[in-house]
Amino acid sequence: MSHVTIQRRSRRRELRRAAPFVLPFLLLFVVVYLVPTGYSVVESFFSLKRSGLGLGGAETVFAGFGNYVRVFQDGDFIASLGRVTFIGVIQVPVMLGIALILALLIDSSVSTGRKFFRVAYFVPYGLPGVIAALVWSFLYAPTLSPITGFFASIGIDVSFVTDGALPFSIANILTWAWTGYNTILIFAALQAIPEETMEAAALDGCSGWKAALLIKVPLIRPALLLTLVFSIIGTFQLYNEPVTMKSVAPNLPSTYTPIMAALRSLTANDFNYAAAQSVVLGALICVLSVFVFRASARRVD
Amino acid sequence: MLNRNARLTAAAVIAATGIALTGCTGSTEASTSGPVKITFWGWASGYEKSVALWNESHPDIQVKYEAIANGGAGGYDKMLTAAKAGTAPCLTQIGYETFSSFLAAGMLQDVSQYVKPQRAEFPDWVWGNVGIDGAAYGVPVDTAPMGMFYRSDLFTAAGIAVPKTWEEFKAAAAAVKTADPKARIMNLPTDPYLYAGFAWQGDAPWFGVNGDAWTVSLDSAAGSTVAGYWQDLFDQDLVTSHPAFDAALYSAWSNGKVWAEVGPVWSASLIRDNAAGSAGKWAVAAMPRWGTTDAVGNSGGSATAVMKDCANPKEATEFAMWMSTNDTSVSNLIESAAILPASTSGLANAALDKPESYYGGQAIYQLFRTESAKVNSSWRWGPVMSTTAAALGDGLGKVHTKSATFQDALGRAQTDTVSALTTQGFSVSK
Repeated sequence: MSHVTIQRRSRRRELRRAAPFVLPFLLLFVVVYLVPTGYSVVESFFSLKRSGLGLGGAETVFAGFGNYVRVFQDGDFIASLGRVTFIGVIQVPVMLGIALILALLIDSSVSTGRKFFRVAYFVPYGLPGVIAALVWSFLYAPTLSPITGFFASIGIDVSFVTDGALPFSIANILTWAWTGYNTILIFAALQAIPEETMEAAALDGCSGWKAALLIKVPLIRPALLLTLVFSIIGTFQLYNEPVTMKSVAPNLPSTYTPIMAALRSLTANDFNYAAAQSVVLGALICVLSVFVFRASARRVD
Repeated sequence: MLNRNARLTAAAVIAATGIALTGCTGSTEASTSGPVKITFWGWASGYEKSVALWNESHPDIQVKYEAIANGGAGGYDKMLTAAKAGTAPCLTQIGYETFSSFLAAGMLQDVSQYVKPQRAEFPDWVWGNVGIDGAAYGVPVDTAPMGMFYRSDLFTAAGIAVPKTWEEFKAAAAAVKTADPKARIMNLPTDPYLYAGFAWQGDAPWFGVNGDAWTVSLDSAAGSTVAGYWQDLFDQDLVTSHPAFDAALYSAWSNGKVWAEVGPVWSASLIRDNAAGSAGKWAVAAMPRWGTTDAVGNSGGSATAVMKDCANPKEATEFAMWMSTNDTSVSNLIESAAILPASTSGLANAALDKPESYYGGQAIYQLFRTESAKVNSSWRWGPVMSTTAAALGDGLGKVHTKSATFQDALGRAQTDTVSALTTQGFSVSK
């Protein structure tokens, strides 16, 4: 009994000591994270009602799930979700595959110039996303692209900006920009594998690629999972690349990705609908992330 | 010990609150004594100097100019959010194309009574851009009537007469292609707002007001005539299909692969600044006409709008009117922003008579001065223009890949616009 009291008292004292360090974070967390999120959710349940020409202004009325019904009937928004899913399905495995191989190569003792490659792979990530997209836009632009120009000179007609090619062109930019970042994350996990583990494996006759695949990869599963979830979230939040590419590809619709669609509603002064679109997107990403974590946790067990 | 901890906690909380609060200081206006203070958001170069000129001579009404991003590049979003948060300034720069949207969103203030004495300063079609049924919610600054910019050297060398009608333009287009199979007369107009200028000239207004309801007519018969004309030029391979405002188009202007551009007055600086290689070789003629109808289109121009929550609308309007009509201010705006003034007194400004060396010494603004009186007066911008323009832009973007026609684009824009209007509760009349 007295033991519990002492414990409780010391716990309270700990809390009091921790408060100055934790409170600023908590406060900022609430102000810049929870409040805006809550605000969006609240906004999404209202809508503006105007009448006649609209000159009298609008009144805010409770809309229930009206905006959400609209979201799920909005063909453009559904199509945008389909597009990012498609880009994610083709791009994420390719990117993580390359990142894993590169990380294993840098990690392996046989490779030379490890320091150089570690930095070299990471450089694209250091470029601001918009700049990278801009540079790639020039490489894709039908009349300016040196690649298109080269193929045209040998009689092959190539375009990177047709409706069919766009998802792949965008996936290519993403892969170029983010592979290095993921490589570094995976490489860091590989570095954390104890030397003894690999020595033991070598003694048992497991080395080289076999050791990499059978021992290293399973050991860094948490890091792989993390990069997977980050990549999925990133793809669903796709924005910079398609918006930048729109200047060279006018056929790219203004609702190409979910965030572009939500932004278009915002620009149309349809705040409440934009809020509903954002909430749906956020919820989807949440569900997907939890699903990925759960699915892989089960496999570990 | 406890005391010190508590104080630490308090200090940390205060510090964090301070950080959180600096982000939301609102604009403070309407002081009880001293000069009237008015905040003005805009982006055009030259506005800042006009404001400074005003402040020097008007100690009782002090205007504070804040430069924001260009409307389409986020400026309008900023205004909408500020209005929603109650921190909007008194005056804002709003392009005519967006003015109706702000008006229909109930964000502007009727200042008809304050502009009444100077009503004659602007033609009726200009007033129509800043209000409905004779009311005014702001003061016009500039207009952008259209004209034809062309490579006079190439037209002369090929012996092709400068087209005066759209019929002649089509013939000239074919002649250009014959003269140089790799060159075309013009680039396909795929920017929705530029395209609007052609519909505007063709007496095919997209919107109208019928009593207390909006009418939407992007897919009108007159609209189809204009759409059909460009579709035909495109189908016959007589125009290029570069994206609007693209480097490829600029280099085609420069190296003689695109011979002309029918565009608004501000194309003058667009061409001059982006096709430096062809300096001195361009000239400007009147926009080709539809048959014998002596009307031109307009694409651009903006106003100084008075926002709903402005506490000093009278003083704000007074400044806005001064900026648009005062000789020194207008000269400054012509000088630094190359605008074509909307006001009658502004149009008389001698700065417009200056010969332009890029255009072979032609005093091109004299032409636009005359043309601005011939702008079709039936045009009206709609209340959800960002939706209309986005839908139309998406459709027009597909024209050059041949996956849609101009008519498809207009049809889709019509549907999207009407559905956006009805969802938000506007009355739409058929």
